[in-house]
Amino acid sequence: MGYLPCGIYHEYYKQDHAWWQTRFVYVKMVLLVLVLILFPYLVSPMWLSVAYTISYYILACMGVQLLIGYCGQITLGHAAFVAVGAYTSAMMVLFIPWPKLIVDWGLAYPISMIAAGIAAGMWSVLFGLPSARVKGFYLIMTTMAAQWITVPFIITQYVSRIGGRGHYFSLPPGTVKLGPWVIDSDVKVYYLSAALVVLLTLVMANLLRSKVGRAWIAIRDNDIAAETLGVNIVWYKLVAFFVAGFFAGIAGSFYVTALYFVSPEHYEWFFSLMWVGVILIGGVGSLHGTIFGSMFVVLVFKFLEMTIIPMTDMFPWFAMKLIYIKESAFGLAVVLFLLYEPNGLSYRYWQLKNYFNLWPFSY
Amino acid sequence: MSPADERHYPGEIEITHDLTLPKLLLKNAKKFKEQRVAMREKEFGVWIPYTWREYLENVKFLSLGMVSLGLERGNKVVMIGDNRPEGLWAEMAAMCAGGIGVWLFQDCLMDEVQYIVDHSDSKFYFAEGQEEVDKALAIKDKCSKLTRIIWDDPKGMRNYDDPILISFKEVQELGRKLDREKPDLFEDLVNQGKADDICLLFYTSGTTALPKGALLTHYNMLTMGQNLMRVDPCYETDDFVSYLPFAWIGEQMMSISCGLQVGFTINFPEEPETSQENVREIGPHVMFAPPRLYEQMTRTVQVKYLDAAWLKRKAYELAMKIGYHIADFKFEKKPIPWYWNLLEYLAYLWCHKKLRDHLGLSRVRNAYTGGAAMGPDHFRFFHAIGVNLKQIYGQTEIAGISVVHRNDDIKFDTVGKPIPETEVRITEQGEIISKSPSVFQGYYKMDEETAKTLKDGWLHSGDTGFIDGDGHLVVFDRTKDIMILSDDSKSSPQFLEARLKFSPFLKDAWVIGDHKPYVTAVICIDYNTVGKWAEDRGIAYTSYPELSQISEVYELVQKPIMQVNKTLPGPAKIRKFVNLYKELDADDDELTRTRKIRRSFVEERYKDIINALYSNSDIMHMDTSITYEDGRVVKIRTDLRVSEVPV
Repeated sequence: MGYLPCGIYHEYYKQDHAWWQTRFVYVKMVLLVLVLILFPYLVSPMWLSVAYTISYYILACMGVQLLIGYCGQITLGHAAFVAVGAYTSAMMVLFIPWPKLIVDWGLAYPISMIAAGIAAGMWSVLFGLPSARVKGFYLIMTTMAAQWITVPFIITQYVSRIGGRGHYFSLPPGTVKLGPWVIDSDVKVYYLSAALVVLLTLVMANLLRSKVGRAWIAIRDNDIAAETLGVNIVWYKLVAFFVAGFFAGIAGSFYVTALYFVSPEHYEWFFSLMWVGVILIGGVGSLHGTIFGSMFVVLVFKFLEMTIIPMTDMFPWFAMKLIYIKESAFGLAVVLFLLYEPNGLSYRYWQLKNYFNLWPFSY
Repeated sequence: MSPADERHYPGEIEITHDLTLPKLLLKNAKKFKEQRVAMREKEFGVWIPYTWREYLENVKFLSLGMVSLGLERGNKVVMIGDNRPEGLWAEMAAMCAGGIGVWLFQDCLMDEVQYIVDHSDSKFYFAEGQEEVDKALAIKDKCSKLTRIIWDDPKGMRNYDDPILISFKEVQELGRKLDREKPDLFEDLVNQGKADDICLLFYTSGTTALPKGALLTHYNMLTMGQNLMRVDPCYETDDFVSYLPFAWIGEQMMSISCGLQVGFTINFPEEPETSQENVREIGPHVMFAPPRLYEQMTRTVQVKYLDAAWLKRKAYELAMKIGYHIADFKFEKKPIPWYWNLLEYLAYLWCHKKLRDHLGLSRVRNAYTGGAAMGPDHFRFFHAIGVNLKQIYGQTEIAGISVVHRNDDIKFDTVGKPIPETEVRITEQGEIISKSPSVFQGYYKMDEETAKTLKDGWLHSGDTGFIDGDGHLVVFDRTKDIMILSDDSKSSPQFLEARLKFSPFLKDAWVIGDHKPYVTAVICIDYNTVGKWAEDRGIAYTSYPELSQISEVYELVQKPIMQVNKTLPGPAKIRKFVNLYKELDADDDELTRTRKIRRSFVEERYKDIINALYSNSDIMHMDTSITYEDGRVVKIRTDLRVSEVPV
């Protein structure tokens, strides 16, 4: 844990690892949950889609963060696993002849979401297998292979053609049902996304403070030392790939509800790259970083849209180039962060907290 | 001066002539059992708790173990080591079996260890680890009474096979065996104890001669603690951090006298080096420390303040201004106007709260300082940030303390009023004498000294002082240290030194001027802060001697001296000073173990410097040797600059 006020001390390791050690943190967290709950009432509906896009990014980047930031396994093919999750979930909802009971109880989608996580996790492990042997640059190549093999080849060429629906699967209204709730409006998508983010962040934070998490960090810091100390590095690397894939699968499955359809163009290689950029901007090796990075990127894109779209009346040329402007702005942001704040936004956040923790001194 | 009228506090126990410290331990263990934590020790990053039951069991088996090794009533057990639960257990174990505890300072040199072990006729030597065992093994042949050396920390002990050695665990094992044979033995032993039995043999630091062993009874210790708590009650929910040497009476007073009576939790730091950090974690409710620790705190704050960013510096300055104002209202006992109260609350929110948090003083109810003089500037500082700092005055010979400030009656130039059942008077010669149930029984094997100190039950302190208009005791200085200035007025070197030490750059000061034409000072700069100061300004240096002689450093040191001079009458002003080429050190006998200057010794040792200060030369050639702890002798040749202070 970080900075503790005077008079807070621990007699047992369990207390030492507790999340909510002070009333301040407790109040902060309760406020955060309140804000998440009240958010739809506080802002215009436009921002709801921004919010759940951020959530989607957070869910997807969590896995990237785990692999790169905590386990040191650089991945450039994460969109493939999100795609596997999205397709698994969509196809299960569409094609499986669910018993009436399950459809009535709204269990089809939740079941498919978990299945999506597992399928994506397994798929991720498959492409993580080379990590037992190769490191660094070569591992990047194998994860890129995951992207190329999965999305343009398997999904586009074969999976998309199942059922003869042409290029994409669309989900008829009412099929995405979570218990008694039909997810059919932005507000409901938002709540689903917020709940998933909170839940999965808790899961991830818990994993990271457990034996598994310590093993991952040991592998990241020095894999040879970790192995010498008895960490089964192949096993833990594969667990990392599985968990990262699982999170990606959940993310993919969730995003189906927001789009109401799946199509390969949402899982292009650019996304794999962008999610790595997101954690670079947010801060590598920090859960806060995942969240800050996702917010930063999505919001910057949104602001670019908001400034450029009104200008298209005067300069129609902009409308054509919006996508390129967005991408170059993203590239610029990554470059600037790497140059000026290589530790990312989470480091800035930490510095801000420290500024007040050390008040009225500087150290 | 008569005893104050404070009476009983809630939960006060009745001290009869049958009550002893071990009986209290037994009572607490029965009362609290596993429900309350008696002590904690920080290890491996967490504060490992020991309940009262565990406390008692450890003491019991250790005590019985020592009995089976031959400990009898009245035998001495000498203990040396850092503050750890095992140290306290050993002390209590000795007392339970009717033995007498003797504490040594952890950093005592071989000669001191030998002197005390031999003089006290100690039978057992309780050592923390290898270092202490080595000291004991080196002296064991010269101390005929010593029979066993008990060690606790196994680090480095693998190859030690001297038959005199026995481990803490083995002793406890012997105790368990004896307990199985005679299950009632322990309680019998404890019940045999009487309040007037000697429980501690306490060697005073002694600024002049060899250490003297003060004999203290259970009754002395208990009444002292009780009378202190009648002024400032402690509660069983309190936390206390024990990190000052057990060989200092102040630590015994809190851990034993008060701790056992109330049953608060004693916390032990991980290592001596981490103690400040550990204190901050715990945030104790009561603190008792010698002035140097508070001086260190103010020094830290001042240095950090200088390094802080502009906005933070301004915020701190403003808050301190308000704090000082409020403190002055309190010192003058004036009612505080509501708008000042409001301002103070704001200052608390934006600065003092965090400041106290950094210093580990967030929860402190009473902070005491005693054992040496403390400068008024330090005192005001702590009251400005809202810490209830109080002066304490006392001696080992009165089991700790006899005079303390009351909450609403604090004057920074006094030490307060006597605690209940205590009388303090001033003799015609101006010496402070006191009488209370806690006055000691005499010095061990030193009848002559006893007779000099203890006359008709009155304890003669050797301090000069007077009682001011409000009935507060003012301690001027040790009688023999008082300076007679050029105009025949008297001045206290301790007071001047304490004022000088408010500067973060000065670690120690030694003021000279008795029967001299003017007053001078020998300064020891603080290597850390001055070193950093020099680095920030690009001033190169390689060592303490070199740094101390740099002319910029002389200018730096001169500023606080001029500041202090402003408040002093003409003859008391410091006219010349010299920066010493080394820090004063207890290992060189220049300081006592409680860091008081041993004046007669340093005057002899540095007589060349004194001569230079009172001659016209401004450069003094120094050719001397330093003895390191391991016995190496190093020659030092250096030139000291004598600097005049502009008036």
